[in-house]
Parts: sequence; C-alpha cells; structure tokens
Amino acid sequence: MNYIDPHIHAISRTTDDYEAMRDAGIVAIIEPAFWLGQPRTQVGSFQDYFSSLVGWERFRASQFGIQHYCTIGLNSKEANNEPLAEQVMELLPLYLGKEGVVAVGEIGYDDQTAAEDRFFRQQLEMAKDADLPVMIHTPHRDKKQGTTRSMDVCEEYKLSPDMVVIDHNNEETVREVLKRGFWAAFTIYPHTKMGSERMVEIVKQYGPERIIVNSAADWGVSDPLAVPKTANLMRKMGIPEEHIRLTCYQNALDSYGKSGQMKERDWLQPDRVDQRQKFSGNSVLRGGQTPKVDGSSDIVEN
Amino acid sequence: MQATTYQADLAKIKEYLLQIIQKQADTQAITWLNEKAQLTSDFNPRSFYIAFGAASRFFNKQPLSLSGAVLPAAKLRQGFQPDTWNLLQTARTCLLLHLPHTDEASYLNILNKLFETADMDEQVALYAALPLLPHPEALVARTADGIRTNMTTVFDAIALHNPYPADYLPEEAWNQMVLKAVFMQRPLYHIDGADQRANDKLARILIDFAHERWAAHRQVMPELWYFIAPYLNVDNIADIEKAVDQGEPLEKEAVLLACAQSPYAAAKTLLAQHPNIEKRIDDGTITWQYIGQSYHQ
Repeated sequence: MNYIDPHIHAISRTTDDYEAMRDAGIVAIIEPAFWLGQPRTQVGSFQDYFSSLVGWERFRASQFGIQHYCTIGLNSKEANNEPLAEQVMELLPLYLGKEGVVAVGEIGYDDQTAAEDRFFRQQLEMAKDADLPVMIHTPHRDKKQGTTRSMDVCEEYKLSPDMVVIDHNNEETVREVLKRGFWAAFTIYPHTKMGSERMVEIVKQYGPERIIVNSAADWGVSDPLAVPKTANLMRKMGIPEEHIRLTCYQNALDSYGKSGQMKERDWLQPDRVDQRQKFSGNSVLRGGQTPKVDGSSDIVEN
Repeated sequence: MQATTYQADLAKIKEYLLQIIQKQADTQAITWLNEKAQLTSDFNPRSFYIAFGAASRFFNKQPLSLSGAVLPAAKLRQGFQPDTWNLLQTARTCLLLHLPHTDEASYLNILNKLFETADMDEQVALYAALPLLPHPEALVARTADGIRTNMTTVFDAIALHNPYPADYLPEEAWNQMVLKAVFMQRPLYHIDGADQRANDKLARILIDFAHERWAAHRQVMPELWYFIAPYLNVDNIADIEKAVDQGEPLEKEAVLLACAQSPYAAAKTLLAQHPNIEKRIDDGTITWQYIGQSYHQ
C-alpha cells in the first residue's frame, strides 16, 4: 500500500531513513518549514533554508523514489523576534508560488504572544492571496485554547475550513476541529503528541473523514515510519482498509492537493516528461552505487 | 558605463524561443508570458521574481519540440542546443531575456537573487540559459559555484549541451567541471567545446584519478581517455598499456582510440598491436560518441 507522510522534517533525517520509508511504502512527503531546534538570527538563514526545501532536499528525496513537497512559512516560535520576522515576511512571497509548495505553514501559536498573533494573521492573508492551503501548528502548552483560537482567526479571515489543516491534534481537540469543518491531522511522535494505539482509537471513534496521520519526524527522538506503522496497527486492530487508505494517504492528498501542486501522477507516473531526472546517475548515491545495503554485513560496499 | 557584451542577438533569440513556445503552450499561458514580458518597461524586481517562479503554473515540463523551428538554434548562438530543454524552462528563459541589463550592477543583483532563491528546476533554467545572457564575463564565478552542486540535473544544465563553460570558464574552473562530470558519471561526450579546452593539466589530473580508481580496484570511465589523448607521452604510456591490458572491452577501445588520435609514436605502436580495433577506429565505427553512448546506455 502507498502512504503519504504529510508532515516530516526530512532535512534532519538520514539516507537510512529514506530507504526505510520507501521500503515501507511511503511515496510522497510534505516537509513543512519549521524552526531548526535553535532560533535563527539572520534573514539569510531563512532564505537558505527555504531554498534547500525547494532545491537540495527535494532532489535528495527523489533519489530514494520519494516525491518531496514542502510548505513555506514563519513558525510561531521565531515570530517572536519581530525585526527578523518582518524581514521573513518580505521573503515569503518569493517562495509561495514555487513548484511543489503545497501550503503556507507550519504557522500558528506557540506561547500565544501578540507577536505570534501578528505574523500568523499576516501569513493567513498571504495564503489567501496565493490561494494556498494552510498548515497550522497547534501549541504544546495551553493546547485546547490555542487550537480554538487558531480556528477562530482562520474564520475571521474567511478562510474556507477545507483549506486549513489543524495539526498535532489529540483526544481533547479533535471533536471541535472536525465539527467546525477543518482537516484534523495527528502526529504520531513518541512521548509527546500521539501514540499509534491512541490513533487507532480515534479512527475507530471518529471514522476516517478529514483525519490525517503524520510523523512530524525531525531532529528529536521521532519515527519516520510512524505513518506506515500506524497503518499496520490499524490493520491489526480491524480498521477497514479504506479507512486506512483515507487517513494515511488520500486525505493528505485531497487537502494539500488543493494547492494544485501535488498530484497522484507525480509518483504513479514519475519522470513522465523529463527523462533526465532519473533514479540513477545521481550524486547522493555516488556513481553506480545501489541504494540497498545489507544491514547484517560488516562489509561496506566499494 | 562599460559596453554590454552580448553572446547573441537577444531580439532574435526571444523571437525564436517564443515561436517554439507558441507551438506547444496553450493560449492562456502565452498571454500570461507576453504580459509578464511587457512588465520590463515599468520594471519591478519583486514581481519579476514571483513571475519567474509562477511560470510553473502555466507551463509544463514537456520536452521541447524543435521540429517546427525555422532555423537551427546554433545559428543564433554557436553551440546553443535547446534540444534537451523543456517548455517551462524555455518560458523562464524568455522572461530572463527580458530583464533590463544595461545597468550591469542592478542586472547582476537581480540574477543573483534569482539564483539564491531558485528551486531545482529554476536552477536548471538559469544555468542552461548562460550562453544567451548579456554580461557573460560577470557570470563566471556564479557558474564555477554552480559546478559545485550535487544535484545532477543542475550540474547537467551547466556541463552538458551548454557552450558557455568552454567559452568563458578559466582553466581551473573548466577542469573542475570535467573532473566533477567524471565523478558524477555524466556523459562526457555531451560537454560542448571539450576538444578546444583539453589541457595538459587536466590530462595529468585525470591520469592521477585513474591511478586512484585502480588502487581501489575500480574501473575507469572509458570517456576519460578522450581528455588524455592529446597528451600521451613517455610519462603516461605505461598507464595506457595497463589500461589496454586490464581494462574492460569498452575501455580498451577508448584507450586505443586515444592512441589513434595521439601524435606520440609509442601510442601508434601500441595501436598497431590491436589490428581489429584499429580497423574499427579507421572505418569510423569506434568514435567518442560511440564510446559515450555505449557506456551510458
């Protein structure tokens, strides 16, 4: 079965992860622009980061047979450096129109400060102008309130809820998100956001409509196989195959596909038009190297 | 103000590219492109950057069909080969050629911003357009930097089917490009102007590289011998003999082809010891194109 991981910070992941993801059936990923574990101090750092999301990281993923998309935005944590955030706002329009940019994101609240609110609103405006979906990061602290507030502001800006994915939901937030018509994404991330067993219960209770599973795997202890693993657990727990397909593939495509930048044929018929972008002759896998390595062997291929 | 150097008649190139685009793109896309190209009279860099990216919303990446073109592209700019281009990059190139360029500094500022913020396909378009852009001397450092990429498609846009590097890169950067092409296993026979830019330093570096490969029990890319051919001499003839003895059949043919093209007597002697291959070289069966095609198929 094919899977999409619609939230993974692959820039922090190794080639072993990419191989394992492809083997597990992941055909496409979305890499949201986020912070890097420590705050940036220069606008140039943002420019180079955004450029790598649409450039090198996309190329790197393609070498493992995975289609790479991204979202572009200023995350809530770094919105608190206002002089810097103002410069990043200037930069965003240069990237939002680029190929494979499927949303403005991940944006929203962290501490729910006035600065976060200011740049969240500015970016919602940009999403409307660019006719792009929005990926909303809901806060770790005061989550329920922050989630409600995020949706309130989206409604204030007259964004259609089917253009907005509310991410990092839990049992406490999901009911309201679904009721208000937004997409509800769940992050299977060890010890913090959701476990896969809880995810199974949520799909049992709410069904598959508008529910999206992702890993948000990044530089922390996290699991780039969270989506296929959760799908397998759903299967074991008797969840219908169609519900698995919707939550671990189709809903991600239907929501972020509203950008016009993500189409199933991108991975079903890869390299349809440009034969030069083929799997071999690449440089991540140095000349002639094959991507499979036998993990049980002590021999490193020559 | 210094006079602008042109590599081609911009008006003619624009007309040529537009003709090709019109055969393949839909009306809405062509209207959009014309609109954006007109903006140059009241030029706003920001709108230009956005249009350059947004071209992907109007043009697909179908390979360019030159069958209906009125004249060969190389008539407009020597070595210009848009045969490997796609429709989207052609539209982007059209936009590029409309950039105001008489003020060199502001022209370069805009180009730099485009390069710095480019996605993978935009980088391909920018580098492949090098042989058409005004102020080519000012783009040397950018090209040398582009060669450092590890994105195959971006590297190919510079190194293959592109006459700009042979025309403008200094020897150091040119040699790095060829070496990197060898490392990345790119088809060397698509490097434009390689014959004029072969040099003894490059030949020496490539021989050293062959030694490294042999030490690691690896094969040498047969096309590499093309760049060594003019510089066969007493210092490297032992390597040549070794490659003929121990190389795979295709490499053996490549090395002997290099011998055939060398004025060095010992190389001729070596070739004479392999009459079957010599015959196929003489009758034009074994050429660098044949070597390259056979290796990369």
